[in-house]
Amino acid sequence: MNKKGFLRKAMVTLLAGIMAVGVAGCGLRSSQPEAGKETKTLVVVNWKDYGSDKAEVVKQFEDKYQCKVVHIYMSSEEELLTKLRTDGVGKIDVVLPNASVLPVAEKENLLAAIDTGKLENYQYIADKFKTLPENSLDGKTYAIPWVWGSTAIAYNSNMIKENVASIHVLWDEKYKGQIGFRDDFNDAVMTAAIALGQNPHKPSDLKAVKAKLLEQKPLNKTYWKTGDEWSKLFANNQIAIGVMWSGQAALMKKEGQPITFVIPREGAIGWVDNWAIVRNAPNEDLAYKFIDFMISKEFQENWAKSGGPAPVNSLATAALDPQLVKDNCMDEASLNKLYFISYQTDEVKKAWNELWQEVKAQ
Amino acid sequence: MKRKIMLMSPAVFMLIAFGVVPLFIMFYFSFLSNGPHGSFTLQNYTDFFSKELYLKLTAKTVQLSLSVTLICLLVAYPMAYIMAKIIRKGKGLLLLLIIIPFWTSALVRAYSWVNLLRDGGLLEIFLRNLNLIEGSLGLLFTQTAVIIGLVHIYFPYMVITIFMSLEKLDDAILDAAQSLGATPFTTFRKITLPLSKVGILTGSILVFIPCLGSFVEPRILGGVNGSVIGTIIEDQFFEIYGWNFGAAIAFILLAMVLASMGLAARFNKEG
Repeated sequence: MNKKGFLRKAMVTLLAGIMAVGVAGCGLRSSQPEAGKETKTLVVVNWKDYGSDKAEVVKQFEDKYQCKVVHIYMSSEEELLTKLRTDGVGKIDVVLPNASVLPVAEKENLLAAIDTGKLENYQYIADKFKTLPENSLDGKTYAIPWVWGSTAIAYNSNMIKENVASIHVLWDEKYKGQIGFRDDFNDAVMTAAIALGQNPHKPSDLKAVKAKLLEQKPLNKTYWKTGDEWSKLFANNQIAIGVMWSGQAALMKKEGQPITFVIPREGAIGWVDNWAIVRNAPNEDLAYKFIDFMISKEFQENWAKSGGPAPVNSLATAALDPQLVKDNCMDEASLNKLYFISYQTDEVKKAWNELWQEVKAQ
Repeated sequence: MKRKIMLMSPAVFMLIAFGVVPLFIMFYFSFLSNGPHGSFTLQNYTDFFSKELYLKLTAKTVQLSLSVTLICLLVAYPMAYIMAKIIRKGKGLLLLLIIIPFWTSALVRAYSWVNLLRDGGLLEIFLRNLNLIEGSLGLLFTQTAVIIGLVHIYFPYMVITIFMSLEKLDDAILDAAQSLGATPFTTFRKITLPLSKVGILTGSILVFIPCLGSFVEPRILGGVNGSVIGTIIEDQFFEIYGWNFGAAIAFILLAMVLASMGLAARFNKEG
């Protein structure tokens, strides 16, 4: 998930960070449905250029349901949470939260419980996604999975001839100086925990995780942060193997790079983006229709074909080119090996981040 | 007079609205326990001073910034001296060349250094063709690469400030020293150097301070050992939304900046 691009990070000043709280709500006012007009306006919060805001998609939905769709963009999950907490309830209809904020939003009563029976396409969603613990609370469903991806191992098949199948390849002395590990505390802790056979959602022994990461450190060429960094290093043969995202690996393969993406047998990290309906949504019916549209075979297939992330709709996956499914590790066998990034409290995040900082500073 | 002072008001307004006020908001945040909410606490500050990690990285960052400042000084002084005192023509062109790097963003420059320094990169090809090296330099993703990147970005500040102080130095004084029998070295030590001290100090401050807070170059060029205090602050804000702790570290850094400026001012007065 490289939505938080490095470039943007570098440009966003501390000032902007501070102001975000104050300004977060301002964008909402203009999007309220105008009184007296018949057409309803559905307000959606999503990342920019992330599937639902494509002009053809918006037009198709607007024509079908005689409404208007307005997008408000978020730049982080935290920002979405802030929007909901300040003045989003009663104004926004649909939002795209992930596991990092869902439990908080549910607990604070910011979302509406979803009747999955009203979604025609819900039945086609692969089972693994229907049981994500963060998506429901007290037996009620609050979030509908939309797309997913994985963070696993990618390598240059011209430089590495063996069949990579184990996560321990990242600890293999043979590849010293050719490995690109990811500079991200969550990926680092979870990857090391998987390698150690610990539960990556709740590592039992953080000391061992830290030792494992320190053991890995001298083998790296560098720690990469943005997808752009990875592509350049890969294209210049500076790195031959490393931790990588499924989506970008598939895209690079499409561009002709000799890149192979694998989910190791021990497992890998997965992520899911989900749609949710905001409590007191002005257009709840339309919100249901929108989500149903987003998880339909047609939309999911088209987006995956044009380079989007993996679909949750199994009909869509079945309709895709098998080669694409294989390159992207979208198949069910790969899917079942994934540990989806789960909700962590601020304390846990802080501890993991500090552990990672210590590894980097050692 | 009063009217003329009024002309300052747009600048003063900008400074207050976008500099001073946010600074105070940050200062306030650094004493809170949980984002913009939470209760008053000193925890963020005690956390910093009680963990070896942060102290170690602070020491590393200071050392890095001092190295960069020193190298900038050694590179910039001769250039500024020659521009101010020796050549008569082409000063404008040289100044333009010094300023040109400012036209591209620091991020782009950092990425350019990746291409220059990497294994099999332009620098290696160049040196190999001259038969100066064999094999690989292994420069990229080391502390040296970070220093190279930072020196490149900040040395113009040093050249310009020293150049300006040397330009003001009256040539007649130098001629007088010479006619009174001082060797060129004595002239330099007793006249030129003391009279360009303000430029050296200003330049050093202008280089040292941004280096303390830098995070782009260490992150991109430093590889696995690229952590500095700036990257810690960045991660607090963007990775875990630890605004409070991030703000506290930023203020500790600010305190260090003020202390170093105080030290420089004192040094200036004494000499």
